[in-house]
Amino acid sequence: MKRSLTHVVAAFVAVGMASVLATVDLAGQAPAQGQGQAPAAQGQGQGQGPGAAGGRAGGGNQQGRGGRGAQQQPPAAPTPRWPDGKPILGAVPGKPIDGWGAGVTTLPQGMLDQVPFQPWARAAYDIRQIDQFEPHTRCKASGVSRQFSTPYGTEFVEVPDLQRMYIIDNGGPNSFRIIFMDGRQFPEKIELTNYGYSIGHWDGDTLVVETRGLNEKFWLDTRGTPHTAQLKFTERFTRLNMETLEYQATIDDPGTYTRPWTTPKFQLRRRAGDEPFEYICQQYNQGPELMLGTQESIDNSKFYVP
Amino acid sequence: MRRFILAATACGVAACGVFLSAQHTPGAKFDLKKPLTITGTVTQIDWANPYVHILVKVQGQPAPALWAVEVEGPITLTDNGWTQESLPIGESIRVEGFAARNGSNQISGNKVTLVSSSKPVYVGVNGTPKVRPTATGPTPRWPDGRPRLGPPPGQTGYWGFPTRHGLSEDGQNIQMDDYGLLKNIADASKVAPFQPWALALYRTRQAEFLVHDPMFQACKPPGGPRQYQQLVSGMQFVEQPDFKRVFVMLGNGNRNRRIIYTDGRKQVGQIGGNDDNPLFYGQAVAHWEGDTWVVDTRLFNEEFWFDNGGLPHTEQLHLVERFTRPNLGTLHYEATIDDPGAYTRPWKSSWDLKWVAGEETPYFLCQDNRP
Repeated sequence: MKRSLTHVVAAFVAVGMASVLATVDLAGQAPAQGQGQAPAAQGQGQGQGPGAAGGRAGGGNQQGRGGRGAQQQPPAAPTPRWPDGKPILGAVPGKPIDGWGAGVTTLPQGMLDQVPFQPWARAAYDIRQIDQFEPHTRCKASGVSRQFSTPYGTEFVEVPDLQRMYIIDNGGPNSFRIIFMDGRQFPEKIELTNYGYSIGHWDGDTLVVETRGLNEKFWLDTRGTPHTAQLKFTERFTRLNMETLEYQATIDDPGTYTRPWTTPKFQLRRRAGDEPFEYICQQYNQGPELMLGTQESIDNSKFYVP
Repeated sequence: MRRFILAATACGVAACGVFLSAQHTPGAKFDLKKPLTITGTVTQIDWANPYVHILVKVQGQPAPALWAVEVEGPITLTDNGWTQESLPIGESIRVEGFAARNGSNQISGNKVTLVSSSKPVYVGVNGTPKVRPTATGPTPRWPDGRPRLGPPPGQTGYWGFPTRHGLSEDGQNIQMDDYGLLKNIADASKVAPFQPWALALYRTRQAEFLVHDPMFQACKPPGGPRQYQQLVSGMQFVEQPDFKRVFVMLGNGNRNRRIIYTDGRKQVGQIGGNDDNPLFYGQAVAHWEGDTWVVDTRLFNEEFWFDNGGLPHTEQLHLVERFTRPNLGTLHYEATIDDPGAYTRPWKSSWDLKWVAGEETPYFLCQDNRP
């Protein structure tokens, strides 16, 4: 137990460092430094071997992915489009697969004082700045906006003939999120999940994704912007050009806020040549007791029987 | 313990308990030689994967005791018409099952009935099972004539309900349960052409009711044939001919995704993996041979079980999988296991999966198991 506690403390410190670095980044700048802290932010800081993740983070920095390392960039190519004129948000057919880097640091970036927190929510937010005990570090799947904070980025997988889109979250537990594009309505009853139930539609060149049915088992961003299961989350994705995806979210959660509020605009930068890779948060997680209790999976009496 | 009625129930697990979840085997947690019956008042329903727990207060001296009744998971219960509200708080229930091995106040809910009416509740076979007719029709195809592995355009669906739940060599008639547990452990040596150490390890895992499975101990991914073996949540193929790759989107366990490349690349030097970095899902490349999709995978790590039943493998595993879709509703799967580290020769195991039309894979995130 002592050993695992040490790891937990180390993870807290590491996550704290990553958060500080991330906060320095203003919206629109890819967190190149944040990528370097990635293994720690994933709860993998300790004992990380020469795995895919570690190698990837280093490579990303050396090549200056995210644009910061480059000098005097030529103007970005225009937004790629499908034959029907809609913007392509994922990889472009005929070209190498690519993805988006992390770009969302903290949803109330630069506007914390304007966020209409309910008193409990502000208290929860403040406590989270200290304890940093984010579910993501315990390999819980990252819902909605939190996906775009993960240092290894995301890939949009558009499947037009199935009228849906997947968002592949490279970090975390190697999972995915579905966005239905078939014009459906929300079902009457939605099972609460980490990813929720997402429906997308186009508003001009902007993909608008509305999500309901989110559970409370994840944070909306690395800093712990709180929410409840009442959350109605709206995201707006606009590919400004080949290299840049603009992201903005509106949070409508009467359980947490006194009125809906909208985040600043964030920018995700393209990571050329970045294919999704196998990243299994659980592989080197140093706090499995916190993730799911190891042996407690079977003998979970502690959770059910005092 | 004496304050509870100890009753020798006539039903064994196979007879009256329908555990279909993809997590621990009943025997891993409960002592199947210790039948137990309790009666108590429902205080809470913990509606969560992988198992729903009914918390009950059982009267006794000097004070009432809190017990946890483990029943099937939300996916199976929902499929059988049950909801979280099916059993109101405050109801008195009678539970027949088996006692927890560790002696804690836990019981497997093999039979749960309302005291007031003797009606069963939260038992799969007693609910209203969802009707899933077999999908019929010709094999859906891409414009170039190749079979589609996923839904026809504009439709949805997933592959589930495999006809085999534990790997065993084709041609051997070996009985296993839904968890890949042998009905008769004496069959172990016939399951595959084991090397001696591998047989010993397989026997041990079986004898321990698969209790050390990394998938349910630490949510490690179900790599290899196991991803097509899971009973509850199934999987979807997402084909991207434009990008020459196929995603496998798993509903079970970790709700993982993985990629099979069809662009002719080699297995070494793929992004995110090389000889020094073996993977849970390995490095997979695929091609078509007529109507058969052949997936060739190497570079697996040894951190997972590639079979529900606990068959061992080593990093030498070379897996060749052949998929055919003879009609809309059927996917035939054949795995050839070539692992000279664990087996004396290559061997095959095959089964079918069923097309579940019009549905998404049920949501099941292993990591949700705990707070």
